[in-house]
Amino acid sequence: MPWPMDRREFLKISAGLVPAAVGLAQAAEAGNSAGKYQAPTTPSLYKSTWYEFTKHPDSDTCWSLSVGPDGRIYAAACAETVPGGTVKVVRYNEARDELDYLFDLGDKVDDPGDSGRATQCKIHYSFAPSMHDGVLYMATHLSGPPIDQPAYSPWLSWHDEKRCFRGSALLAFDTKTDEVKWWDTLIPKEGCRCLLHDEDRGLLYALSYPRDHFIIYDLKKRTRRDIGRIGSVNSQALFLDRKHRVWTTSDYGHLVRYTPESDRLEMSPFTLPHNPEFQTGFHSVFYDAAPAPDGESVFAGTWIANPYLMRIWPNDGEWPRVEDLGPSTQKRDPTIPKDTFADHCGGLTFAGDGQLYYVASRWRDPVDNPMDASHKEREGVVWRLNPKTYEREEVARLEHPKNFAQYVSRGAVDHNGDLFFAHVGSHPSGIFKVSMPPERKRPNAHLPIRMWG
Amino acid sequence: MEDKKKKYDMNRPEARALMDEIVHGTFMKEGTMVAFPTCFPGASIPIAPDESRITALDATPEGVVYGGTSGHRAHVFVGMFHGVTGVVFDLKTIEGATQSAAVCCGQKRFVACVNGPKGGGRILACALQPLPFDLVQEWGFERPAFEDWGEAVAGEPIVHAVADHANDLAVGVTPRHLFVADLAASKVEVAGEVPGAGRLALASRGGIVGQDGAGHLWRFDPKKRTLQRRAFALPAGQWDRTPLTWSRVKHQGLLYTADGAGRLFSFDEDKGFSASLGQTMLAPVGPMAVTLDGRVFGFCGPDLAKMFGYDPASGRVTNLGVAVSVIERRRYGYVFGDAVPGRDGELYFGEDDNLGHLFIYFPKIRPLT
Repeated sequence: MPWPMDRREFLKISAGLVPAAVGLAQAAEAGNSAGKYQAPTTPSLYKSTWYEFTKHPDSDTCWSLSVGPDGRIYAAACAETVPGGTVKVVRYNEARDELDYLFDLGDKVDDPGDSGRATQCKIHYSFAPSMHDGVLYMATHLSGPPIDQPAYSPWLSWHDEKRCFRGSALLAFDTKTDEVKWWDTLIPKEGCRCLLHDEDRGLLYALSYPRDHFIIYDLKKRTRRDIGRIGSVNSQALFLDRKHRVWTTSDYGHLVRYTPESDRLEMSPFTLPHNPEFQTGFHSVFYDAAPAPDGESVFAGTWIANPYLMRIWPNDGEWPRVEDLGPSTQKRDPTIPKDTFADHCGGLTFAGDGQLYYVASRWRDPVDNPMDASHKEREGVVWRLNPKTYEREEVARLEHPKNFAQYVSRGAVDHNGDLFFAHVGSHPSGIFKVSMPPERKRPNAHLPIRMWG
Repeated sequence: MEDKKKKYDMNRPEARALMDEIVHGTFMKEGTMVAFPTCFPGASIPIAPDESRITALDATPEGVVYGGTSGHRAHVFVGMFHGVTGVVFDLKTIEGATQSAAVCCGQKRFVACVNGPKGGGRILACALQPLPFDLVQEWGFERPAFEDWGEAVAGEPIVHAVADHANDLAVGVTPRHLFVADLAASKVEVAGEVPGAGRLALASRGGIVGQDGAGHLWRFDPKKRTLQRRAFALPAGQWDRTPLTWSRVKHQGLLYTADGAGRLFSFDEDKGFSASLGQTMLAPVGPMAVTLDGRVFGFCGPDLAKMFGYDPASGRVTNLGVAVSVIERRRYGYVFGDAVPGRDGELYFGEDDNLGHLFIYFPKIRPLT
């Protein structure tokens, strides 16, 4: 059966505007009252458990999931399709094996959901830890409609004082005391697409949306500098090299580098790996980027259907050496511009065993992938990639009780060495825990910690 | 105390239509915008992102576009889009310059007026570019030689300049002086004292006009080389807050301008200013240009400008939305630095932003009535 072709399908599915995921059996009875669900027949050493944001029923996406400076897992229960929706920050409670709801972000920054403006509806790849003081920085993003509107366009409402998003709110959350120490407006009128912390220099780096400006925030002075625009398609990730340079991508799949000494944004002339059959480099922006434990390289994936994986060595050469690790998802009919919700790869994270884990989508295709009945129409496959040999091994499938699980935005490993993945595509939304086999765990597996969302 | 707002019911029958209007009704509601990069796509790379803010444009009668950029370093480029062309060629990186104030096309060559962190504004001249052979099949480009005529007025930055009606002279201003650059004689002379602010324009009888304080225009006669201060009174409006901007009807010389509140006026040297013709939805008004049938198109509003259209036949000002290109390059356009009409009614808007593109606007063709 053909899937409906429309914009941002995940929003429709997650918001319940159309019947939820085609062809799924209703398996809600397998869950419990705390919104936890473990698949009874996970064919894997890696056990997948679903934790629904039951205490935030308006939540429709989870874009941010990170390990905090305390080694615990934090996630954003976002509500972006609900008029007046706001994001709540949750944390996985390992003692009770459930989620703790920490706070409603709109309340903390005096920007409630019924303000009439676009709301503080989500945190989008914008958790960034601070190791010396145990703070977890977080910055909000936009698109949630005002309470009395069905949708929001930041372009339409840019000059509308009553409707325009107030701005990305930056919060400093103390993970030792569970208090918000302070907050500020990181980017007026705009959302923060992704956030990075250069702890040595006390700087936060962000990309704004919709104008795609590169923003630097000085934590000591609490001041903001706008370095200028990059393009139109937001990159979804920033990363840092050991020279304190910050890297991201342009609309057409070129590396973009900010060098503090020159205070300039520069663009590489080279195009990042992409499908040579039906892509040009357009939209091959970073979706996710995970630092390798060696500290010298970064593994990244792109935000376009048939996303490519690559390894980037930012400290090598005038422009980095980039190794093309090929596509992360399956072959398909190139005459159809596939959507990035169904054809997707995210959740890149290194675990205690020194291997890269990520989740790539897989779907039934009558020609290219006629999967048998034991598979769902769409699946989120957990892969384990050896960074030395680049060998890949399928280790688990994420099991959602009611919806497909092919879209994972971010992944992280907690201090116990277990994997966690943020899911987009259900309402309420939630996260997956994937328990690692004991021999592949280690204490403080989250270190060295990733400093960007 | 604010009224408590009622939560929108997403099951309302009009919800989908309203969502579509909010999302899609925001962009380019009329006509087509094409963003062209500052390169020969597929054959060269664009000007560096932080050196490509397009702040100056002019065009020859044949429709070849010349432009200047601002940023870390200023560049001068030529754009060709008719015949077997389709290129922006980066003619020169101007060391020591960070701002292009104006580009003026003469009969055989053009001048670029640029400013830098040190010294006064400089004028550089170069021959007009010949057409290339065939940019589908084969080509060859060489960077041309420029003449550096030095500072127009010692120690003073150039604010703006325009070519005269005969395309023999470029007439410009600094904050305190009026100067004339003779394109044939390669000579620059100070022609008077004016408080240079905002943009200049070539008016209907060949005079060059510029703002003269909060209430007037000065007029310079390029042929007689005479300057008349306070030659025309500005109409009632806000004239002391934003730099003056102009657009010109090519064949008549009628000018359009706007005050700080976005009120549009026309200006003719014989008739003076019109009454207010209408008001743009946002202010200030930025660059605008007039297509062949007399309609005016421009941008208004800070940070994230919206396009407006003014139709003198109906007298209506229309909100055309945020600029976006889905042909050649997929790109939003937020800030524009200059505009110039093209040969066939298309309009060129220079994007004053990092990785600036030439946004080529093809207005809607009006149906037969």
